[in-house]
Amino acid sequence: MAATHIDDKIRRSDALSKARGEAKYVSDYFFEGMLHAQMLRSTEARADIVSINLPVLPDGYYFISAKDIPEQGVNSLHMIGDDWRCFADGDVRYVGETIGLFVGPSPAVVKSLVDNTRVEYRPKESCITIDDAIAVKGGSLLDGKDDDIMCQLYCEKGHDMEEVFKDADMVLTETFETGFQEHVHLETNGAIVTEEGDSYVIYISCQCPFYVRKSVAALLALPLEKVIIRQTTTGGAFGGKEHFPDVLAGPLLVAESRIHKPIKMIFDREEDMEFSVKRHPSKITYKSAIKDGKLIGTLGDIYYNCGAYLSASFVVLQRGVFHANGVYDIPNTRLNGYGMATNTFPSDAFRGFGAPQTLFAIEMHMTHIARKLGIDPADFKKSMFLKKGGETVTNGHVVEEVMLNEMFDNIAKESDYYRKSREFGYGTGRGIGVSFYNHGGAFTGNGEQAIIKAHARLKKTGNKVTIETGSTEMGQGFQTILRKIAASTLAIPMEDVDYPNPDTSVVPDSGPTAASRSTMIVGRIIERCAQEMKQRWGEGDFSVEKEYEHPDGFPWDQSTFRGDAYLGYGWGAAIVEVEIDKRTNEVQVKGIWTSHEIGKAIDELIVHGQINGGVIQSLGYASMEKMENRNGRFKQTSMSDYVIPTSMDFPAQYYHIQENPYPYGPYGAKGMGELVFNGADAAYCDALERAIGKDIFKIPLPPEDIEEALRNA
Amino acid sequence: MNCYIPENLTEALEIRKKTHAVPMAGGTDLMVQAKKGIGINPAFKTPIMIISYLSELKGIKVEDDGTLVIGSLATSSEIADDERVFYPIRKAASLMGAVSLRNTATIGGNIANASPKGDLPQPLILLDAELVLSSIDRERMIKVDDFIIGAKKTVLQDDEIIKEVRIKPVKATHYFYHKIGTRKANAISKLSLSILADVEDGILKDFRASSGASGDKVKRSRDAEMILIGKPISEIASHIDEFTSAWDRILSPHAMPQYRRESTRRMLSDFLIKLSEGAEPGIYE
Repeated sequence: MAATHIDDKIRRSDALSKARGEAKYVSDYFFEGMLHAQMLRSTEARADIVSINLPVLPDGYYFISAKDIPEQGVNSLHMIGDDWRCFADGDVRYVGETIGLFVGPSPAVVKSLVDNTRVEYRPKESCITIDDAIAVKGGSLLDGKDDDIMCQLYCEKGHDMEEVFKDADMVLTETFETGFQEHVHLETNGAIVTEEGDSYVIYISCQCPFYVRKSVAALLALPLEKVIIRQTTTGGAFGGKEHFPDVLAGPLLVAESRIHKPIKMIFDREEDMEFSVKRHPSKITYKSAIKDGKLIGTLGDIYYNCGAYLSASFVVLQRGVFHANGVYDIPNTRLNGYGMATNTFPSDAFRGFGAPQTLFAIEMHMTHIARKLGIDPADFKKSMFLKKGGETVTNGHVVEEVMLNEMFDNIAKESDYYRKSREFGYGTGRGIGVSFYNHGGAFTGNGEQAIIKAHARLKKTGNKVTIETGSTEMGQGFQTILRKIAASTLAIPMEDVDYPNPDTSVVPDSGPTAASRSTMIVGRIIERCAQEMKQRWGEGDFSVEKEYEHPDGFPWDQSTFRGDAYLGYGWGAAIVEVEIDKRTNEVQVKGIWTSHEIGKAIDELIVHGQINGGVIQSLGYASMEKMENRNGRFKQTSMSDYVIPTSMDFPAQYYHIQENPYPYGPYGAKGMGELVFNGADAAYCDALERAIGKDIFKIPLPPEDIEEALRNA
Repeated sequence: MNCYIPENLTEALEIRKKTHAVPMAGGTDLMVQAKKGIGINPAFKTPIMIISYLSELKGIKVEDDGTLVIGSLATSSEIADDERVFYPIRKAASLMGAVSLRNTATIGGNIANASPKGDLPQPLILLDAELVLSSIDRERMIKVDDFIIGAKKTVLQDDEIIKEVRIKPVKATHYFYHKIGTRKANAISKLSLSILADVEDGILKDFRASSGASGDKVKRSRDAEMILIGKPISEIASHIDEFTSAWDRILSPHAMPQYRRESTRRMLSDFLIKLSEGAEPGIYE
């Protein structure tokens, strides 16, 4: 077989087994004597638990709750903070909070036990929205505080904003809002816990096996290595399986410590929608100073709804603030970020990780400023682009050549942007819109060096090579990407490189599969391992393990959030054309054109798939994916009332990949999985504004909300 | 729970009379309503009778006088693919759910489920479709509009099965059908509207409309339609406001009322303006 070359177009290594139904997902695993578990969940958003009245438990059935956590253990799922409890104890803080776990041989009996348990609550006034949290409705949710600000930060550069506003020709203040978004990964959440020797083993659908291990071990006061996590083939995640699997694994582990039999818990679709993390809703106000046709300053107040527990929210908020000036060089700025505690299901990671909210807001704001100035939004935005060496909002610098002009030229030509922009005008039912965006690759600042210190390993056995890393395939194509990097560096066929799903007792910790870091960071470590292995190829069987090496010249101070927030950015430009049915407000997307700069595409087919999916997911976010929360309860709980786009909803996309090799990534590659989600929403809304002749401040915008926007304008 | 699988219609009607077992055909509503979660059998509150095998209830045919007869077990796919079926029904059937659902869901089930958002009752009511309800003791005919009395409510007796849907030939020059789904495919209806117009010698001989997902059941109003029927095309434009206002009064949407009312009004107005401007006979969306 021929050696694989990095530019070969190859079939994904997991495609056949998944298409044939051979891939084994967690619900496909069965163990001798396996029991089934279901959660008893809070039905109140904020309440004290007065009593839990259990039905009579038949023989062989168990109820596991906080009381089952041993004395030396802690009732906490360690994520970034420790506030998220494994089991609610004494009170509940959101609808769906785990109170206990029923376990037994028959799923039907287990379910009837859940249904027949009566929990008596003393309800308290709950706090659901960002506005509720600002008003500290029902009193602070946070211990020892008198507000609901769970986390906060600010960034500033240039002059004091009061001075800047005095100097301006025009000051524009606008507020934007974005909604919840559900991940709708094809495979719902699920896990199985069992024992092997004196260790616990958890089979689980997840992005980050080492996160799960770290999160749950302290429940039983176990050393980390006594909990083994085996990632099962994972059918999609989008961030919804970054921290959330801990919420399944924790209670299961406690149950296992009492019951000592294999226990399985699989969420059905409604459970997975109603009782899982979501994208943070946001409310973002910009007050901007405009002078001589330029945006000279922004004062931004950025509020994210974090839900009841911190989870990853502070990091999400940081990324939101760091992306809040978009791809623009705005000389003066002050950006205040507030993560608000509420009684909703905790918000958590979702493709884009906080960046999409602020990028949407700044893009719409820029569009509105351009229109007020009488300039085509594309031209106004182009006049403000960041350039190499330009200062970021964290007083860091853009390290790469910014190629947005070339990228825009490509799609402007393909879409005939300027002609359509002129001809469609404003309020004619047709519109074309444009957006620009970026996404900082990998962990914030020096996190890769200071926090993660990723390791990855290659193991040679005869002529075969095995990849050992904690990074996971979740549908994004990483098993193919990493095999390709290893094979092409070693100059061997990809078929000779194996990459099993990670098992924490076998592989080194490569950090989470998140933050668009896998190709850029772990891919680079594997490339370095392969380079050494190639030189030593004749030595027989051996392994090469490497640690992440931080490139020089990226200063960062995590205490002040100053310096280079990211090691490099991916960049994007999108144009969307729409036509609206003025009778029904149904929007037809007539064309989608994007260009993305991701360093280098390791595999063009996979990158193309990511672009298609990310762009459609972003258009769904803007147009139809509406999830409302009433009194702490999500209103949309099935795939028929929370709809995501089908292939019928949007046309085929034109895509362009801009090469701009990145010196610290494998073969010049940067992160890209999130970038492709970050901007099509704003291009769509720009086009829609032009079509309806009214400004847009809020997404999602299904036809009934367009009706309201038209009426209120 | 008892589940019966009769081999012919007579046996089915006997079981129905004796046990009141609920007839289940495609199961695309009932199985979903009864599901209990992964690894747990669906739980039905009543006995169930699987009628999918009954050949007496299958097929689509046209009788000598032009009456279209659709067996209650005809699937949405069969209906959508049959050119003899009147346009709005065919179109509505083609937009139900996804392919797999359309291959399974039946017209009888869609009517009996009586969801205000159901796709087929709306055009059936436009066309004054009637149902044949069979029981072991008798057979009766009833208009679909009288059969469905509210959200999820019908007058089906506990010994009856929907045997077939009958639609007399309709004279029409213009048809309109529009479904606003939550998305473009595999979507539940947010709002739907059918219109039928028959123009002869410059006179609007017949005019009907039917609104789905606009209240507790499909909405039609002969009184409102009479405002337009018999009018010369040249006078239609001056009656649009009167008609659309009368139509608006019969709608009773709970959710998104403003959107449903205004969209209905605009679709009706738009169609009537086209008609008054002498639009060619044909199909409009």
